[in-house]
Amino acid sequence: MKRFILLTCMVLFGICLNAMAQEVIVKGVVTDEKKLPIPGVSISVSNVPGLGAITDVDGKYSIKMPPYQTLVFTFMGYDKKEVLVKEQRVVNVTLIESEASVLDEVVVTATGSERKIAITGAITTVNVDQLKSNPSTSMADALAGVVPGIQAMQTSGRPGSVSEFWVRSISTFGASNAALVLIDGFERDMNEINVEDVESFSVLKDASATAMYGSRGANGVILIKTKRGKEGKVNINAKVEGFYNQLTKLPEFVDGYTYASMANEAKIVRNQEPLFSKTELEVLRLGLDPDLFPNVDWMDVVLRDAAKSQRSMLNLSGGGKTARYYLSGSYQNQQGMYKVDDALGDYNTNANFNKYTYRLSVDMDITKSTLLTVGVSGSLRKQNDPGVGSNAIWTALMGYNAITSPIRYSDGKIPASDDGDNDPNNDMDRFNPLVQGTMTGYNESWSNNIQTTLNLNQKLDFITKGLWFVGRFGYDTYNNNYIKRYKFPELWSANRYRNTAGDLVFKRIKEEQKMTQSAGSDGDKREFFEWEMHYDRNIALHNFGGVFKYTQASKVFTQNIGTDLKNGIARRNQGLAGRVNYNYNSRYYVDFNFGYTGSENFHKDYRFGFFPAISGAWNIGEEPIIKKLGWVDMFKVRYSYGKTGNDNLGDIRFPYLYTLEQMYQRDTNGNIQYYSDGTPIGANGYQFGDYESASRPWGGLGYTSVASPNVTWEVATKQDLGIDYSLFHDKISGAVDYFYERREGIYMSRNFLPGFVGLENNPSANVGEVKAHGIDGSFTFKQKIYNVDLTLRGNATYSKSEIIERDEENTIYAYKLQEGHRVDQARGLMDLGLFKDYDDIRNSPRQTFGEVMPGDIKYKDINGDGKIDDNDIVAIGATTRPNLTYGFGVSASWKGLDINVHFQGVGKSTYFINGSSVYMFNLGQNWGNILTDIADSNRWTLGVNEDPNADYPRLTYGPNANNYRASTFWLRDGSYLRLKTLDIGYSLPKTFVNKAHLNNVRFFLIGTNLLTFSKFKLWDPELGSSTGKVYPLSKTLSVGVSVNL
Amino acid sequence: MKKILTILTVASTILIVGGCKKYLDSDYLFDERLTTEEVFTNTDYANRWLAKAYSFLGSNYMQDVSSKKSVPFNFADDMYYGDESDGYKRWKNGQYTENGLNGESKEIWNTAYKGIRQASIFINNIDINKTLSVKEIADMKGQARFLRAYFYWVLLRTYGPIPIVPDEGIDYTKEYDEIAQPRNTYEECATYLSNELVEAAKGLSTQQGIQQLARPTRGAALALRARILLYAASPLANGKAPAEVAAAMVTKDGKPLLSPTYEESRWARAAAAAKDVMDLGQYRLYVAYKKTTGDAAYPATVTPPFDSNFSNSAWPSGWSDIDPFESYRALFNGTVPAYQNPELIFTHGQNQGGEGINVLVLHQLPRLEGKGYNSHGMTQKQVDAYSMNDGSDIPGMNSMYAGRQGYENRYNTLPRATGFVKQEELSKYPELGPLGVGVNKQYVRREPRFYASVSYNGSTWNLLNAESVRDEKSNVQIFYYRGDPNGYKNTSYWPRTGVGIKKYIHPDDISNVAVTAYDQSRMKPKVDPAIRYAEVLLMYAEALNELNGSYTIPSWDGTKTHNISRDISEMKRGIQPIRIRAGVADYASDVYSDQNKFRIKLKRERQVELFAEGQRYFDLRRWTDAQSEESAPVYGYNAYATKAQADLFHTVVETPSLPSIFTLKMWFWPIHFDELKRNKYLTQNPGWTNPE
Repeated sequence: MKRFILLTCMVLFGICLNAMAQEVIVKGVVTDEKKLPIPGVSISVSNVPGLGAITDVDGKYSIKMPPYQTLVFTFMGYDKKEVLVKEQRVVNVTLIESEASVLDEVVVTATGSERKIAITGAITTVNVDQLKSNPSTSMADALAGVVPGIQAMQTSGRPGSVSEFWVRSISTFGASNAALVLIDGFERDMNEINVEDVESFSVLKDASATAMYGSRGANGVILIKTKRGKEGKVNINAKVEGFYNQLTKLPEFVDGYTYASMANEAKIVRNQEPLFSKTELEVLRLGLDPDLFPNVDWMDVVLRDAAKSQRSMLNLSGGGKTARYYLSGSYQNQQGMYKVDDALGDYNTNANFNKYTYRLSVDMDITKSTLLTVGVSGSLRKQNDPGVGSNAIWTALMGYNAITSPIRYSDGKIPASDDGDNDPNNDMDRFNPLVQGTMTGYNESWSNNIQTTLNLNQKLDFITKGLWFVGRFGYDTYNNNYIKRYKFPELWSANRYRNTAGDLVFKRIKEEQKMTQSAGSDGDKREFFEWEMHYDRNIALHNFGGVFKYTQASKVFTQNIGTDLKNGIARRNQGLAGRVNYNYNSRYYVDFNFGYTGSENFHKDYRFGFFPAISGAWNIGEEPIIKKLGWVDMFKVRYSYGKTGNDNLGDIRFPYLYTLEQMYQRDTNGNIQYYSDGTPIGANGYQFGDYESASRPWGGLGYTSVASPNVTWEVATKQDLGIDYSLFHDKISGAVDYFYERREGIYMSRNFLPGFVGLENNPSANVGEVKAHGIDGSFTFKQKIYNVDLTLRGNATYSKSEIIERDEENTIYAYKLQEGHRVDQARGLMDLGLFKDYDDIRNSPRQTFGEVMPGDIKYKDINGDGKIDDNDIVAIGATTRPNLTYGFGVSASWKGLDINVHFQGVGKSTYFINGSSVYMFNLGQNWGNILTDIADSNRWTLGVNEDPNADYPRLTYGPNANNYRASTFWLRDGSYLRLKTLDIGYSLPKTFVNKAHLNNVRFFLIGTNLLTFSKFKLWDPELGSSTGKVYPLSKTLSVGVSVNL
Repeated sequence: MKKILTILTVASTILIVGGCKKYLDSDYLFDERLTTEEVFTNTDYANRWLAKAYSFLGSNYMQDVSSKKSVPFNFADDMYYGDESDGYKRWKNGQYTENGLNGESKEIWNTAYKGIRQASIFINNIDINKTLSVKEIADMKGQARFLRAYFYWVLLRTYGPIPIVPDEGIDYTKEYDEIAQPRNTYEECATYLSNELVEAAKGLSTQQGIQQLARPTRGAALALRARILLYAASPLANGKAPAEVAAAMVTKDGKPLLSPTYEESRWARAAAAAKDVMDLGQYRLYVAYKKTTGDAAYPATVTPPFDSNFSNSAWPSGWSDIDPFESYRALFNGTVPAYQNPELIFTHGQNQGGEGINVLVLHQLPRLEGKGYNSHGMTQKQVDAYSMNDGSDIPGMNSMYAGRQGYENRYNTLPRATGFVKQEELSKYPELGPLGVGVNKQYVRREPRFYASVSYNGSTWNLLNAESVRDEKSNVQIFYYRGDPNGYKNTSYWPRTGVGIKKYIHPDDISNVAVTAYDQSRMKPKVDPAIRYAEVLLMYAEALNELNGSYTIPSWDGTKTHNISRDISEMKRGIQPIRIRAGVADYASDVYSDQNKFRIKLKRERQVELFAEGQRYFDLRRWTDAQSEESAPVYGYNAYATKAQADLFHTVVETPSLPSIFTLKMWFWPIHFDELKRNKYLTQNPGWTNPE
């Protein structure tokens, strides 16, 4: 196929070049309405492909052309102008600035671009500019609160980490709830792409928009089109930005004295000996003995105040009538927050992330009707982390308290916390955070991705008008490698008491480990091929269209695939899809879509599925009676109904197959053991002979996994009712959608088959069912006040899911079932505050988790059996992942100045808090810390504050099985609102810029996550973390300049 | 040109699509993997498949005779264990949960059903094999059928009636509710298994090769069938279950799982089934022949006191030419190779799991001298069950249970013998061997099986594999006095009743558990007597004794009919060989003529003959004797007495560390909550709770 296309291209190219004769030279100046010259206007001759010119800085042009042809002048932001050249040799043209109308807005859909007015499905087009102010290296981080219909969560601020996001709602508890992301038609990683290279970004949400993706569209589809070169002079964009990052909310911990006093309190209120004597407390308070009674602020020791990052990018585009190109490159660097000790090594231990991307695409008009596009793009990412990895540091930072150990002992020994035993297999001894951050070596990883795309677009008007063909081919390779260089120093712990001479007595916790390394890699290869046949035709007021599409895609892992045949087989999809649409006079629309797609993962009989969708729209705004009103630009009601599927079963391949295996004796490394004559020794079998006989046992043979023959994709039946509107000359515009989805056949392992079935492993089946419904919408209001262009925007997505069926065990308590609750519903006991006194304890149902005292958490007896146990666990709160995401903002521009403010928030999200910094003293000595917010809160204190409604229960030194368990007491509201972006820009005046032969120069200042409003104060609520032990999110200020020439 | 381009484009498109018809198909690769069809067409693979079905039988949870960790059923009121942190106490007091004692309630269930599935797949597929002969297929199928029945049998004896799954296996792709199935009744289970075993017997060979002795034979299938039918005829399953058990043993619809009515014909059916095995003519009791000389480990034959029926005839009608002690001892201790043992009908062979007979043995071996755990012991009840060598009861037999319900005609209040054997008296007691000095006279002149089974205070342990380089000695007398190395101490390793166990001990056996926890390197390996001919004979006698009417019952293969009634000569065919081989006198004629007297004797004969073979726990239940027997306090000698207090030591006292109760829930093993939750029609056993 590839060779064929190339051959064809070459032949055709030759033919085209011969087509010219008898030419004249035409000259002229192109100006705007204010008579200012416009440079870079592209001029082409219609019907003569490959002929064109571009205006220079003074707006002048000159072109050699055959006479009696039409000259076409195009420039972005201006209306196209056509002039028929007869005898004149000078053609001066004035271009009029175009007034963008909603009606002309174009939306990218599964079958190509369409006018917004003609869309019958639920599709959101994202204004790419809004994604550009995001400081992170990942585009996904910018989606929350910007795109109606997308819910997203950024769960770590670690350089290089990526947000999770979902289209509309999580309506499955199956293996995958991730949307299908297609870049230029092929499934590629959204984070591979540099946002500056994005031409358009659409989110396809309902069945009519996604049915063509068949068994892969159920979780929504995101379509990204990259920029292409445009005819005209070279267009260069450059942007340089520098970032200054600070952590949004760093948990704060108490100082050593407070910690020690509270530890004493925890002991005393449980009738135990206090941990520290009065003298020791004084020594600690006054800092008299920094070896044994240190007071270290570890956050301060390990973390920087701020980290810097930078980003720069450059793109060039341009070309002539016959060929156009787009070339871009970008570089991003994100520095981590850890302090580095340069004295310790010539390598960098700080977390940092570098990403390079490049993209080249060339569009060639091979004939008047043939367009060939060749694209190559790729990325290289490099990441550095301390030897222990980032998570370990955050765990240690939250676990190490001020008095665990000094930074260094006074004799230079490096401290570690001692778990109290000498068992290396039960290693709870922990490195201190500084050791982890700077003395454990480093971990380097890099990955690269090369993507090649070939695209052939052939108009087939000569067969019948309005027919055209597109063929695409893509080939991607990806590989990822890491080398971890690990070491640690000799570590010591001093005994609590000095010897009689007053010297420290040390115990060696760990011997020094010199640097060792480990390495690994993985990679994959993807191939894509598809073609489409399009047909569009208007006959009078009747508009018809049709698309027929064939796709196939494969992905195969190229490394670490082991010995199982299944792992070496590519994940493949194949499908036919189509669309037929009709509208009458742009008023009444009917649209039928289907996908007939299959996946290699299922049994022959279940491999292909048919996914139809039908949709319709009524463009009320086009009705003559409404049109007369004059203020309705667009008012469209649309409805869609259809099915899509999800064939992603996670890592399980070919569930319809059984696996038979002969069992052999294996050593601890899994190697088969042999008799001395080389026969493998069987296992799981039987020895039939007597002891004296020399017979060998028979090894067993059986199913190591059983077949689940009927397994197939999940099916989502989706309905969507939406309104698109634009009123008062686009002053007010927006869309609102109500959606309802029923996801059936969710793939699950059947974990509750009774034992008498006799299986040794669990089969899988399509058993689950979830319904979800919700609303998403957006709203824009534009107004010009004097010279200020003002835009108000808002969007929101709300969804609610309910599990209808799930693989669950029978229970007599219906509330214990997940059925009837949301996906990811939080569960726990319900608290009734704290026990007031012993009478309260005696008069309440017995709590079976452990001894209770006044000030301990009192739970509600849900089933009324007089005791509190696991049967009293019910659904409480909402879900960990938010059900409501919203964003709103305002932007204004005045002359060269523009300002954009954007707020983002989530609601309907709850999570439990736990872990060693919340469950105070849970792990006893040496591990866990006390958050200042908790220490200063209205916590229950014996004799001081015995409020049964206190914020935190009676302290315990060590585990407390009654208090420290999931319950409403520890459930926190995860909703928040934050000032996500503040973007201020200033563009230098055009006159000034043009003199420097530039088009546009804009300086900007962007702040992100500057303000956060949330009831939850312990750490950044967006993390959704229950322990807070993750790399926090950043608050960023950036300055930059972008230049266009 | 354009046309050419179009045509080319369209053509290439069609080509690509056409060529990609099989784009998603990976079956060409998977066809290279092992398929189920291939497994059964290839004889080697088929054998491995079958071996996997057998492997479940080799699991700890499917054992008949074993030490205690996974299945404690070997330990009823006859023997106990002192280690495992009071495990016996929890076991005997029902202090285990619905999970079992060590999680076995789920494991026994699941292991058996896994085996059933594996065997069923074999049965349903092996016919496609073209290389095996029809006869071979029938034999292998018979084996699979036997295995399946055996797994069901283990379930039936443990949990009572259980669900019988369809022959083709349960379709696991169905909804949970469709899969759910209630328990079948006891009678349904027994009938199903009886038919299955007949089917198995038809295909099975009468004998398996020397390398194949762990495979079942026709005899094994018929013997298992007889056992299952005997259980089905026994009071618990046959209309005489205690009311509270019967009332609780029901399906959710209230259908009784244990037969509500007594049917005598079930006994006849069981007797006929035992007769089927006897009629094979293939099995006989093992005997060792008379020796005139001997040593401490292999003593010369001690001739039993004169019995007019047995003394003058040679085996099999008398004992004149055999050595009863060695006949019984050698049967179990590894002396007789399994293949040469004419009595062994079915055994797990070497596949005894991790708690096999040698693990039992090393827990019996003395602590210091035998380097074992010295933690398994025998109750007074069992010690008293062994008669005197003339067949009479020992003075004071069961005196501790005098007046107790269920002990009518089973005790005497004569004073127990006192005094100790002196050097000069030793020749009067050849049964003690050369090292009998200091042995209490309660232990002299007992029947031969006593000396092969009981490690009484002062008995001789041979320990012939002892190595003098390790400072080990052979042929030592073991005393359990407080202060002796094997007596009371502050650890787990002493027999609480002052009596140890010798069954399964080979004269060579010695261990070294201080070095290797389960050291068996110096022990004679032993197969388990899962089913032996003596049991078949006893079953025959027991079933006949219960009959009042007479019955005509076709033989298993329908080739003849058995006329079954309480025929004393037939009963003797069952009981006498056991007595003769053991060198004990015949019963008086009034025993044979009285159903009740005979029943008492028969139960005692089973208690003695089948001691430590995993039978008594289930026997007590099927006879509905469990209530009275298992709640009876455990008695033993006064192990807290020192050698200086030798008389005090030999006084029978209640053993306080081995309390004993019996409650409703102890009739059947609990069904695990997981299973009850997952099978909505399943009902829990009496006395056990349901989930939530």
